[in-house]
Order: sequence, then structure tokens, then C-alpha cells
Amino acid sequence: MTRFLRTPDFTLAAIALLGFVVLAFATSGNLLSAGTLGAFFRFLAVPVVIGLSQMVVLAVGQMNLSVGALTGFCAMAAAWLMLEAGLPAPVAVLAALALGLGVGLINGLLVVFTRINGFIVTLATMTIIQGLRYGVNGPDTFQGYSAGLRAFGRASVLGLPVVFLCALVVAGLVGWFFARTVAGRRLLASGGSPFAARLSGISNDRSLVVAHGLSGLLAGVAAVITVAASGSVNASIGDDLLLPSFAAPIIGGVALAGGMVSVTGTVLAAFLVRLVDVMQAQFGINPRWIDLIIGAVVLGAVLLGTVRQRLHDRGSTA
Amino acid sequence: MSVATEEGRTESAETVRKPPRIPWWANPRVGLVILLILLIALFTALRPAFLDTKLTLVPLQSDISVYLVVGLAQLMVLSLGHMNMAVGRMAAMSAFVMGLVHDQLGAGLVVSLLLGLIAGGLLGALAGLIISRTGVNSFVVTLAMDFALVGLITILYTSVTDGVAFPTLPAGMDALRFDTFADYCLGDVCGPRIPLVVPFAVAAALLVGLLFRFSRLGREMLMTGANIKAAELSGIPTKNRIVQAHALSGLIAGLAGFLLAANNGAFSASIGGEFLLPSFLAPVLGGTLLAGGAVSVLGTVLGATLTQVIYKGLNLLQFQLDQLQLYIGLVLLAALSLDRARHVIAERRGAKL
Amino acid sequence: MLVAENLIKTFPGVRALDGATLRVSPGSVHALLGENGAGKSTLVKVLTGVYQPDGGRITLDGDDLRLTGPMDAQAAGIGVVHQERNLIPAFSVAENISLHHLPHRRGVVDRARMRAEARRCLGLLEVELDPDAPVATLSPAQGQLVEIAKALSLENRVLLLDEPTASLTGDEADHLYAVVRRLRDSGRAVVLVSHKLEEVFAVADTLTVLRDGRSVASGEALAGFSQSRVVDLMVGRAYEQVELARREVNAEAVPALRLADVATAHGHRDVSLEVRPGEILGLYGLVGAGRSELAKAILGLGRITAGTVEVHGKPARIATVGEALRRYRLGYVTEDRKDEGLFLDQQVTRNIAVTVWRRLARLGLVPDRAERRLALDFVGKLDIRISTPRQVAGQLSGGNQQKVSLAKWLAADCDILIVDEPTVGIDVRTKAAFHELIAGLAADGLALLLISSDLPETVALADRIAVMSDLRIAGVLDNDHDYPRMSRQIIRMIHAETHAEAA
Repeated sequence: MTRFLRTPDFTLAAIALLGFVVLAFATSGNLLSAGTLGAFFRFLAVPVVIGLSQMVVLAVGQMNLSVGALTGFCAMAAAWLMLEAGLPAPVAVLAALALGLGVGLINGLLVVFTRINGFIVTLATMTIIQGLRYGVNGPDTFQGYSAGLRAFGRASVLGLPVVFLCALVVAGLVGWFFARTVAGRRLLASGGSPFAARLSGISNDRSLVVAHGLSGLLAGVAAVITVAASGSVNASIGDDLLLPSFAAPIIGGVALAGGMVSVTGTVLAAFLVRLVDVMQAQFGINPRWIDLIIGAVVLGAVLLGTVRQRLHDRGSTA
Repeated sequence: MSVATEEGRTESAETVRKPPRIPWWANPRVGLVILLILLIALFTALRPAFLDTKLTLVPLQSDISVYLVVGLAQLMVLSLGHMNMAVGRMAAMSAFVMGLVHDQLGAGLVVSLLLGLIAGGLLGALAGLIISRTGVNSFVVTLAMDFALVGLITILYTSVTDGVAFPTLPAGMDALRFDTFADYCLGDVCGPRIPLVVPFAVAAALLVGLLFRFSRLGREMLMTGANIKAAELSGIPTKNRIVQAHALSGLIAGLAGFLLAANNGAFSASIGGEFLLPSFLAPVLGGTLLAGGAVSVLGTVLGATLTQVIYKGLNLLQFQLDQLQLYIGLVLLAALSLDRARHVIAERRGAKL
Repeated sequence: MLVAENLIKTFPGVRALDGATLRVSPGSVHALLGENGAGKSTLVKVLTGVYQPDGGRITLDGDDLRLTGPMDAQAAGIGVVHQERNLIPAFSVAENISLHHLPHRRGVVDRARMRAEARRCLGLLEVELDPDAPVATLSPAQGQLVEIAKALSLENRVLLLDEPTASLTGDEADHLYAVVRRLRDSGRAVVLVSHKLEEVFAVADTLTVLRDGRSVASGEALAGFSQSRVVDLMVGRAYEQVELARREVNAEAVPALRLADVATAHGHRDVSLEVRPGEILGLYGLVGAGRSELAKAILGLGRITAGTVEVHGKPARIATVGEALRRYRLGYVTEDRKDEGLFLDQQVTRNIAVTVWRRLARLGLVPDRAERRLALDFVGKLDIRISTPRQVAGQLSGGNQQKVSLAKWLAADCDILIVDEPTVGIDVRTKAAFHELIAGLAADGLALLLISSDLPETVALADRIAVMSDLRIAGVLDNDHDYPRMSRQIIRMIHAETHAEAA
């Protein structure tokens, strides 16, 4: 139990809870009103999923710069399929997921076959996807697609938006994937000790492709949530997701070197960032303070992690 | 960074294979020059206006200058195997200081420029300091810094100006924006149609080239990037080199901010917003790897030129800005894959000989 | 029965295996012995598919084996426990044991079966370990047992243990050898690679002795050998070695480097040493005795917690390698030339001149010509074989790389040099040249601290020999260059020390 109290996840959870309570008091309970609370969680769904999308590639020591652009592209594609191709919403949703998965797999295959650094490969695919995203409908906005999907985006169960619950389910699945499935364990083994993994008959190349594919699939999920929750989409969707996609896992304690994941940490970090966001809206602070604060939090979290590690090391050598 | 390279290293540590000499045609710089010539020919054939001095070539040179300097800022830290994700925001902060010094203190062009560059350098040094003292990945540190600076810059512009840009410019900025050397004549002899910002970029490229090629400082940065343990054990103060490389990155980013401000005619909050991608494009297209230990300044010049030629050309062909992205990305991917293919072919040939 | 015949493996500049033969029968413990650099590790890597041999053949029960990768060796039932840990630290004991074939139901890991398998394998070894404990929390000895359990889980018939006791205490080693005997009794073949003759004699049935990549004994029963006979076989070349010129050391001179009662954060206690100008002080010890760590602490890379370091009679406080170099003219040639000594992707000239850029620079710029002249000077002096000065260091052979690594300190004009394992992985001829070179440096008046695990090398080169064991100096001997006598004295000293430790 005391070991749990010292984990970074617990620290994050405590900070998140404290922040939430303070904010609830500071807004004289306004935060807890049904509307505000609903909005709070509805717009938490995408940051959670996109953070997970980045986390799965960090697990193998890679980065995926294309997550934001891909989310936008999948969202635009889904909207196009419904409005222009006249397909029913479930088909469009599946197509968006498949598209995300496909692009992710291409990223992974490019990394494996060209042996070029994943940062550079996804930098290139990011720019390509940005172009494609724009190509779907130019600068125009898609709106008025499937009423059912939009209703799904607004629906709530027990006061919690369905899209947020979806995000939690996805987070649970990702956590389960890494903790319990053979593929997930292999992925972590490749990320942590590629050489040892190879000696154990694990294909590191396959792990890279799987991780990128999964990252793409999660970007597709984020796209579907966006399409459902926002009611209209245009080519700028995803532009503001890249940096938060790194912020959540990094604050959540995921190392860039690979080999470990923290789903709880990532979700809690996304929650914290959202909290800062709401604080700004509630108090009419210049939205730019948010970025400043998030930047400081990321840096602080990282420095804290280093200090913690140093103390730990010193403790164990002495 | 990638699993693949790590594995490759473990293997090569055991058996040192003799890599054959890479033939000239496998040099990425040669490929870039050929690609450049082909593209210029193509654009000219489709739109003869591409070679119009006033309409295309002069603004093209100005743009190349800005993005070359942006690429050089990134190149500084790539030499260490680091990244500077805050390159755009360091440029913006630097430009803010330039505008502020002029606006509030009435300082002239040179003083404003110098103080701005120092501000950029200090920001870079701060990033370098955090990286070298804590050992945290440069990507994370500069990313966090980018976040923080995005907010700070808007707040600063809002509190000091109308929120977007400084209303006035130091004397001489207009000349930098509109004039070319052709406007300055000595008797009947006038200069070529080269914008005044070009010499800034050329000087920066030459200095950076000089730094890495001949100076002890630059060489020690490269050695730090090549193998930090061996560098430390060879008596190189690696921590200082890391701080210095990041400081220079910030300073050069500041210069890029200044050149963009000159081109735009304003010290505005939006400066640097579009720097991140091109900052990697130019060096990487030019053959600089992210691993550290080797840089190519000439390649960065060619990479920056190629990207801006593509932008300009597709612009003339009336492509939308976002569509341009698609082609830039494809060119980057194609160039990198070809580079890789060339290497593989060259190695196979070499192995047979 | 695993038989490897006439294996040949060459690396650029080195013939690591030159007709090595090995015969291992099931139900026996086979010792693979040889000096550092005799080719043991290469043989292990060939047998486990990491390297492909250039010649010779491997058969298992009469069938030809073609091992193109580690997986082939595993499929054939040949397992290995390497010197370096190959476990995944964040994973549990059970998961590491089963990592090759995680038991699963439709892709979901079956933890119950995984734990049961771990218990079964650990049980075969009679080892008590929590299957759910993360490997990161285990001691090195426990990690080793997990690796052996992992090999058992793969149903290996042949198990290679590469220096299994290098980082273990006496008790842990005893336990390990009990496990080895149990493996033998269950009908498996165990190949034991070890430096520690006493342990080998206690557990092994048959032996192979490698010398310079060749088998000088293969498959004979150990019973027919005495320890000294085996030592003679291993070090045969010690007697063929060229006689090095005798040097006179002025015993009255002020020591160039003197440590008095030094303790470090790494755990060294009461270390006292003196090296005089023109003297070679050998620092001999087994792997893991803490010699390199001591050198690094002197250079400011580790913390010195007590005692004094004096350079030329004056107290020295060294915080960085740069300071050691500039203020005290003290250099360190690392044992790990690939990771710490060289810049493999950089030109040879830069690798040599890196320590003197400060001196060569004019206004911060390093003139290429001066750098080149200086580097080529040392290329000539040390007879470094390069095709062009622009050649990168990674393309050179091991011996030439080591010379480059040394050259950079000579270029820096050091007068005290700590040379750490200078001839590991270097072929015999280059080794001899290296020994002459080092003796020559001492004759020129340099003070040298020679760290080596190569006993013949230490006895051939050093004027005095300090024996380090378990982070302490066990004693300092005057070297009379009588190899049989010196080697026995030193080995006895180390054993006395470890026995005292165990008692």
C-alpha cells in the first residue's frame, strides 16, 4: 500500500483530485452543474485517446508526429463518406478506423523498410496527410451529417458523456493489451531491451509495425469521437493535437526511451491538462496562459521524475 | 531512438565490417542538385514566369534566406544528436525583444538586432542547461519550452502592443524588406538583384560551416554528438558544449526571426509559427542525420533551397497552401528513401569489388 | 553429443578461432578454458548461432547443424547464459522465463500456466524465487538463475554458461554449481566457461583448452590434469614471449601518482598505491574486482570519499578528465575502446587530435595541417595501419583501434598514463608489439598504471604488481619476471582473499 502511495500515478491522481475540488469551490459549484461537467468530460475524450495514440509508439522508443494530422484526415474522410458518398454512419465510422490503422501500418512499414528514424518518417507522412486532409473538402466545413452519430456524441449516461466513456473503454483496452496479451508484452519487450527480445525470438520489426498500426488506429478512434462530439469538421482538425499528444504521456511518466507504458498516468495527465483548460474558461484568463502552464507542468513533471530517480539511485547505492 | 538502430549498433560493435567507399553518386547533395535543376526546368516549362526576377526570384531568395537560417538553427543541435522543438518560439521571443527594444527605448536597428539575438541565445542556453544538468531528453525539454513560450509570447504582445505586432520598425527594416542590391549604384554600376537579407543568411551559413569544419568548439560539439562517453573521457567539457550548441541554436533562431520580420515588415506574434517543420526539412534533406556527430551545412543550403523552390513553383501553378504540404512530404519521403536505396546499392557494389 | 570440429572464424585483422574443436557428451560438465582473447567467447557465439563460422563443422548427435542465427541454436536445443544479462528488467521472473513461448489463450497471456512453468523450472534448480517479482529487483546471482531457468524452459539439451560466477559471491557461486551438478545429473550437457580454475576443477568432468583460437586439449577427462598443467596449457605462449628490455626504476624518485588510503563511492576501501616515473605498476585482479572503477574515480568520474591523491608529491583534486589532462598531465586509456575510447564514425586524425585541439587552436580555429601532421606523426610512431588519414576509426582492426585510443593520450603529452586492459581482443602479434610499445613508454620516463586481467602480460611488463580483490588491494609484489613463481603467488593471494571473504 505504501508502495502504491509513492507511485507517480498516485501523485498525479492526488493532484488531479485536489485540482478538481479546488476548481469546484472556486467556481462556487458551477463546475459541478450538469452542463459544465458534461462539457468537461466530453472534451476530455479526444485528449485521452490521442495521448494513448502517442503512448503506444513511445512504448517501442518511437515517436509519431502524424497523430494530429491523421485524426483530422480520418475525421474528414468519415464526414465525406457520410455526406458525399452517402454511406451510413456505422460504415463511415469503420472506414475511418480502418483508414487510421492503414496509415499507421504504412508508417510502421516505412520505418522498418527504410531504416530511417521514426521521427523523420512520421514528419514526412504528417505533411503528406496534412495535404490529403485538406484535399478532402478544401477549406470548407462538413456539417449536418448523420443525426444518429451526432446524438451519440451528445448522449450521456449517468451524467457522463458517452464519448468520454468510450475513451475510458479504449484506455482500458490499451492497458489490457499491454498487460495481458502476447502481442502487447512482445511490444514492451522490444521497446525495453531490443537485443534481449531478439534473443527470445521476438521480431522487433514486427513490434514497430504493430505499434505504429495501433497508434494509427487510436488516431482513427479520436477522429470518430471528434466527428460525433463536435457536429462539424474541417481541415484544421488535429492541428492543435500534436503537442498535447506528447504532453499527456510525458506528464504521465512514460519514458521516451521505450519499454514502459502508463495508461493511468496518461489518462490522469490528460485530465489535468483539461482542468487547466476549464480554469481558463471559468475565469476568463487569456487562453495563452494555458500553454505556458502546460509547458511548465511538463517540464516540472520531467524534472521531478529525474530528481525522484536520483534520490532512488542514491538510496540504493548507499 | 529506434529499435532498429540500437540493434544495428549491438551487431556492429561485435564485428567491424569494412564499409566500402561510397561513390560520388550516392552523395545526397548530388541528388539534391539534380532534383533542383529538374524542378526548376519543370516549373519554367509550365510557367515561364518562374524565372521572372521581380515576381519570383527576388522573393524566392528572401524566403530561402529565412528558411536556411531556420535550418541552421536546428543543425546546431542536430550536431549533438539533439532536437530543438522550440526553434520557432525562440525566434518569436527574439523578435519580440527586438521590437520591444526599438519600440520602448527607441534603439536603432543594430542594437535591437543584437539584443534580440542575445535573448534568443539565452533561451537556447537555458534549454541546454536543463538538458545537460538533468539528462532529460532534449525533445521533451524543448517541447515543454515551446509550450511555455507559445503562451508567454502572446501574453507579452498583448500587454505591450495591440496584441498582434509592434506598430513601428527600426529604420532600415524597410530597406531590408524591399531593396535589392540593384537599388544601390556606384556611378553606373549597380549591384545584382539580390535582396539585402541574403547576405545575413550567407554569413550565417559560412560561420556555421566554419564552426563545424575548423573551430575547436564546433568539432568538440560533433565529438560530443558522436560519442558522449568517449568525448567526456577525452577531456571535452561535454556539458558546456551542450549548453553552447543550444545557445547558438537559439541565437540563430533569433536571426531567422529577424529575417522573417524584415520580410513581413513587422515584429509580430506569429513569427516562428511555421518554423518547426522546415527547420528539420532543410538539414535532413541535405543528408544530416538525427544521430549526431555529423552535419552538412552545404546540404542544409540545398535542402532549404529545394523546399522553397517547390513552394514557389507549386504556388505559381496555383496549388493551395495545404496541398503544397502533400508534395513537400512526398519529396521528403522520396528523397530519404532514395538516399537509403543509394546507400544499399553502393554498399552491395562495394562488397562485390 | 555436441561436436564442433576445426572451427575457423576471422575478423578484420584477427583470427579469433583457428581450428577450435570441442566435444561435449550428455550428462557431463565440460569446462572451456583459455586465457583472455584465446577465443572462448567467439566459440560460444559460434555455437549459439550469433556468429557464423568461416570453416569447420558442428554436429549434434551426428547430424550436421547449420546455425544461421540464435533461433537455430535454440531450435537445436543449445541454450546459453551470457556474461551480460539478457533479461527484460521490467518483466516478472515468470514472464522472462517463458518469453520465447508465452502460454496464451487466443492471444491473451495465460498467467497461471506461465507461473506454473516458472515454478517448475525454478523447482528443477531447487531455487526459491517469487515468479511475480520484477527481474529489476533481483540480485545478479538471482538474475543468473532466472536465465538458467529460462534455458531449462526451452528444453535445452546443451547449456553454455559464460563466466557464470564473475559477479557472484562465494556462497552464491557454490549454489550455482550445485545447480550445475543437478543439470548434469538430469542428463544435460553443461559447457562451463570460467577463469576460476579452482571452481572448474570442483565441478567439471571434461575440458577443452583454447590458446590463440586453437584447441590444445579437447574433450579429455579433467581427472588426468593438475591445475598447474592446465595453467601451462593455457598460457603456453608466456614462455615464447619476446624478452623485453630491462629498465631501471629509481626507487627514490617522488611518485608521479600516489594514492593513500583512498575510499570511493563505488566501495573501494584503503587503497594505497605508488607509481614512479619510468615505472610500470601492474594492477592485476579478476573481472569485477573494481580496477576500472578505481581509475575512473581518480579521473573525477567517480566520487572519492576519503584519502588523498597526490600527483608528483602535491595533493591533487581532479574533478574532470579535462582537468586531469591539463593540470596533471594524467591520461586514461579505457578498456572499452568501442564505447568509451573511440569515435568510430570519425576520422582517425580527429580521434588522435581530440585531446590537443585546445593546444593546436589559433583563435579558436584548429588548422587542419597541424592536426594532420600531429596525427600522422603518431600513426607512424605507433605503426597504425590506415589506408588514408580520412579513414574512420570504425574501419580499423581491433589492434589498430587500440593504438589510436592510446595515441590520443600520447599526443596530449601525458606523463602519467593509466592503461586499462590494453590488449583485450587483440591478436598475438599485435599484442607483442603493444607490449614493446608500453615498455618503451616507461623507458621514456612515463609513469604507467597497467590494469590487466592477463596474467602473463602483467608479469611480463610490470615492475611491481598490485593485486586487487574485492575493491581492496590484497598486496603489492616486486616482480622478478619469473612467470611460474609470480603467477602462483598472485593466484594464491586472490584465493586467500576470496576465502577469507567467504569465511
